[in-house]
Amino acid sequence: MTSPVLPFPAPAPAASGRTPVYALVGNPNCGKSTLFNALTGLKQKVGNYPGVTVEKKIGTVYSQHGQPMQVIDLPGAYSLAARSPDEAVTRDVLLGRRSDTAQPDRILCIVDATNLERNLYLVHQILDLGRPVILVLNMMDLATQAGLQIRVAKLEKELGIPVIPCEAAHGRGLIELKVAMSRPDLPLPRHRWDIPSPIAPAVSELQASLVENDRKAPLSARAEALLLLTDQDTIRVAGSTPLSGRTAEILRSWQKRWEGEGTDWAATLVSSRYDAITRLCADLVERDDRPSNASSTSDRIDGVVTHPMWGWLVLGGIMALLFLSIFTLAEYPMNWIDGHIASLADLVKESMSPGDLRDLITDGAIGGVGGVLVFLPQILILFFFIGLLESTGYMARAAFIMDRLMSRVGLNGKSFIPLLSSYACAIPGIMATRTIEDSKDRLVTILVAPLMSCSARLPVYLLMIAAIVPGDQVPILTKVGLMLLMYALGTFGAFGFAWLFKRTLLKGVPPLMIMELPPYRLPRLRDVVLQMVERGGLFLRRAGTIILGISIVLWFLSTYPKAPEGASSQEQMAHSFAGKAGRILEPAIKPLGFDWQIGIGIIASFAAREVFVSTMGVVFNAQSEDDEDTAPLRQALAAAKWPDGSRLFTPLTCLSLMVFYVFAMQCISTIAIVRRETNSWRWPLFQLAYMTGTAWLLSLVVFQGGRLLGF
Amino acid sequence: MSTPPPSHWQPERVPLCQLPAGTSGRVYELTGEGQFKQRIRELGFGESAVVTKVSGQSPVICRINGTRIALSHGAASQILVERFGAMT
Repeated sequence: MTSPVLPFPAPAPAASGRTPVYALVGNPNCGKSTLFNALTGLKQKVGNYPGVTVEKKIGTVYSQHGQPMQVIDLPGAYSLAARSPDEAVTRDVLLGRRSDTAQPDRILCIVDATNLERNLYLVHQILDLGRPVILVLNMMDLATQAGLQIRVAKLEKELGIPVIPCEAAHGRGLIELKVAMSRPDLPLPRHRWDIPSPIAPAVSELQASLVENDRKAPLSARAEALLLLTDQDTIRVAGSTPLSGRTAEILRSWQKRWEGEGTDWAATLVSSRYDAITRLCADLVERDDRPSNASSTSDRIDGVVTHPMWGWLVLGGIMALLFLSIFTLAEYPMNWIDGHIASLADLVKESMSPGDLRDLITDGAIGGVGGVLVFLPQILILFFFIGLLESTGYMARAAFIMDRLMSRVGLNGKSFIPLLSSYACAIPGIMATRTIEDSKDRLVTILVAPLMSCSARLPVYLLMIAAIVPGDQVPILTKVGLMLLMYALGTFGAFGFAWLFKRTLLKGVPPLMIMELPPYRLPRLRDVVLQMVERGGLFLRRAGTIILGISIVLWFLSTYPKAPEGASSQEQMAHSFAGKAGRILEPAIKPLGFDWQIGIGIIASFAAREVFVSTMGVVFNAQSEDDEDTAPLRQALAAAKWPDGSRLFTPLTCLSLMVFYVFAMQCISTIAIVRRETNSWRWPLFQLAYMTGTAWLLSLVVFQGGRLLGF
Repeated sequence: MSTPPPSHWQPERVPLCQLPAGTSGRVYELTGEGQFKQRIRELGFGESAVVTKVSGQSPVICRINGTRIALSHGAASQILVERFGAMT
């Protein structure tokens, strides 16, 4: 039985006065972001779909006559049968399941012309939706280079929708596309394919129920019925409207019946779509058989970068370069920002009369937010590199090379980018876990990401290393060696805990990694920079607001209650809530070799690790303008004593403290981000507990073990 | 060839991970769990698709329909292919 799509009347064109809303959809790597940027320029709004941490991008396009049109850039997807939260959002928006996003009026489908058949699979599903569709054939230049001739007019005729050839990367075809987009009378797809007859009754029944009980439009309901029937394990994400009881009941009864029969309708449907596409493409695409240059170049590059030995060398080289630039290039802008924050604080100090409000602004607000701003250059450099590697196509290869290593601890290669990012800062690292499809893998990656030594730990390591090695000249080899030791400790810790979690808490079959390797391309600098700015902005907004709040709280805790008039800042600190907390904490940390003054540092740096250094400065009364310049503070630390007169900062204590900072979750922003990304307090609290517990235990082992050995 | 040729009407069937680099085959059967099979079919890897192995043990890189797809060893071992006769 055939059930061709009936010519339902087109949904009324957007009422005059309302701007039409387009959804932009396509496979990953088909140039979707490039097209979105080319169409909307900087007129983009980036937000979030409430409840799911998938970026929601909306931009405005102006037609040739200045008429505005909205475009929602949906996450890349291979199919409406979603496999990741990203794909689930794409599916839900297109099916009108999200209460926060109205079903788009029209759909802009972008495909990679060099790989038409695979890309048309998603298009084929989208044509079912009963919305006007415009098909954009992107990368026409590469298709021509690869010896493909696509008969655009014929494709237009077969599908009954406008088909616009385009080269988004060079801005070609955009005018034609805008003209098509501003047409008031876009036709509905004239597309027919045969649903295998045995499932047709199920589709009709479910469709009728969706129309009646879930208030869906008839065509959209048919598409949804097909999807529901053939994709039982549908990923549900927050914000998606659940099915009505009646519909869910019908669905269950059909699924049960088919289970009994043992026929895999999902497979049949996929192949029937592919058959339809193959028939379509047979007449549309002419291939000349000359070997394509682009693909053989990619093959040659792949021969090196995925080689069992050269691959590791290339990856190692790129990572070394990345770290080098994060820690050297970032230094100048970081000093610059630091300087400006200091002068801003001075300005406030000069223009306000002394008092608590002034201190709140300078020490609490400016100091706290400045502490985050200082890391922005490093984070931007990291984002730039990641964007660069992504846009050349190398990132997919790196993930694959790492897959071999990651699979030993039960993770897959997609955890590589988040963990790598976490060396700069765990927040972008945790945000990057969104590409991981398996929810358990994603959670494990989130849980261990903060163990990678982030740049906020650097000032702490530097101070402790300086305190371990007496004298002004710190032997460079000792310094580098200790530093590497800390990085290695964190990295192995992360892998060890990943291994442990995958075997205990979050057991799961090792994921099978399948990934498309895009052809190598020259990076598009504009897109890379745009993405960097956008991600950097998101980081600032998320981390900045939290840090501001916590800094104010910490300022309060170390300022009140007030010490008697004329007390030094050191005495004030001892007298404050923070000082009292330090004393309460002392019994717990004494076995690690820390006294109550170090306890204040640990409490204060609970918000952000680097705060430890400035707190030590206050506690031991050795103010220096620059966190990195540790000389005066180092002398003060060397002079610090236990009440019995013995040295406080022995090399063993310093080492114990460093180990503590490798493992302890001293970062309130990370806790907040994990709370957001996992949608519960359970995981951030667990993370806080296991990391701090490990830190305490290992510091204990280091200190007590060292003492037994006679240090 | 040193191996005795299989009876000519029965092509050689191997998991994709064992297909030698540079040779092609036709996907004959997908094994394993439902979601994996569904996704791999949607990527154009369905039964009767023609695969060319480009390189590797893990990752296995192959070309299908003009796309380069990388699979971990585990994934590649669940895709059975009929190897085309020795290329001339």
